[in-house]
Amino acid sequence: MMAPFYEFGRLGEGTSLLIAVLLGIAFGWFLEQGGIGNARKLSGQFYFTDLSVLKLMFSAILTAMLGLFWLSWAGLLDLSRVYVPETFIVPQLVGGLVFGVGFATGGLCPGTSCVAAATGRKDGIALIAGMLAGVFVFGEAFPAIGGFADSTARGALTLPQALGLSYGTVVGVVVAVALGAFAGAEWLERRAERPARPMKVVA
Amino acid sequence: MTTDARRRPGIERALAIAAVVGGALAVVAGSPTRATRGSVDVTELARIVEHEEDHVTAVELARWIRDDKPRLRVLDIRADSEFADFHIPGARRVPLAEIARMPLDSSATYVLYSEGGTHAAQGWFLLRARGVKNVFFLRGGLYEWLEEVMNPRVASTTPQAQRDSIRALTLWFGGKMQVVDSASATTVPSVLDGALSAPHMSDTRAAIKKIRRRAC
Repeated sequence: MMAPFYEFGRLGEGTSLLIAVLLGIAFGWFLEQGGIGNARKLSGQFYFTDLSVLKLMFSAILTAMLGLFWLSWAGLLDLSRVYVPETFIVPQLVGGLVFGVGFATGGLCPGTSCVAAATGRKDGIALIAGMLAGVFVFGEAFPAIGGFADSTARGALTLPQALGLSYGTVVGVVVAVALGAFAGAEWLERRAERPARPMKVVA
Repeated sequence: MTTDARRRPGIERALAIAAVVGGALAVVAGSPTRATRGSVDVTELARIVEHEEDHVTAVELARWIRDDKPRLRVLDIRADSEFADFHIPGARRVPLAEIARMPLDSSATYVLYSEGGTHAAQGWFLLRARGVKNVFFLRGGLYEWLEEVMNPRVASTTPQAQRDSIRALTLWFGGKMQVVDSASATTVPSVLDGALSAPHMSDTRAAIKKIRRRAC
């Protein structure tokens, strides 16, 4: 949101930090209002009883993706200046696995653990401590595992490049997948809400 | 959250429809930028240039035109007025900026020419970047065409068969071959030394004069 203004030097460091704080507070407030600061709700994701996180993430992806595509198409946004994180296939698979295990057992991800901590939840505070400990351990261990962390580098790889498709085609496919996921999530939630089913999992 | 959303199915449906429309139109739009982007294999391009496979001579081009080479597209990238004065038969005028945008036929053979060779070579690069494989430029430009095809000077020592072949090609394009002493049969620019006396050549002669004036 503030990226173009910062990139073009319209905003100084101080102003940018202030805006970042305001955006962060707004982000947390909306997460909390959506109930995503609640570990029970997040854990429901992994038991297919409450797929709010999946729907929220896909909604955010669709909104951002369609927004970026059409703003760029209209000439209002320079996509080449949008930062694309670099891909490291195997290290990111391992990292994703570690992240997933922590998410499923703790019930919160980095953003939501901050939200939970801000509302005074102890599990949120504990998870932030764990996250900082993990960052510290990774930093200290980096000389030993740095080679692995930099392996299978693919640079700033995007889906259109990886699949050899046009941006528009990828956008269309992601929209179709997301709508399918929404419908599937709703179906799973309705099934989980049926009280008489003996297979209902306690979240 | 789910129960809240379910109370407003209208909003959900509207958002879903917006996403479907946005996604479907994106497939049609294809690219999020309206700038034409091309990419080149730099190594391949360097090899082509080094092996001189990037250009044709005027005589080669003349034979292609005469023999009706399939899917040959000759593009003239000079100004409109210059094109109106004189152009290679069958050529189409395309400004350099247009080359970056125009629809392309990947199975066609494109030949670009300009007054000299520079602009045509730049156009060659643009078409290569846009993925056209069969693209050439006239290295000596229109000068070469006028000297080698329209008004060739052939040495009197040249074998008769070769002279006949050149004469036939030149006549096909309405030009005139000149037989000279072997010493002056090279590329001395003496096209206007009264050699162009045929009446049907008057338009061409005026055009050559114009070009010569600019060149010298």
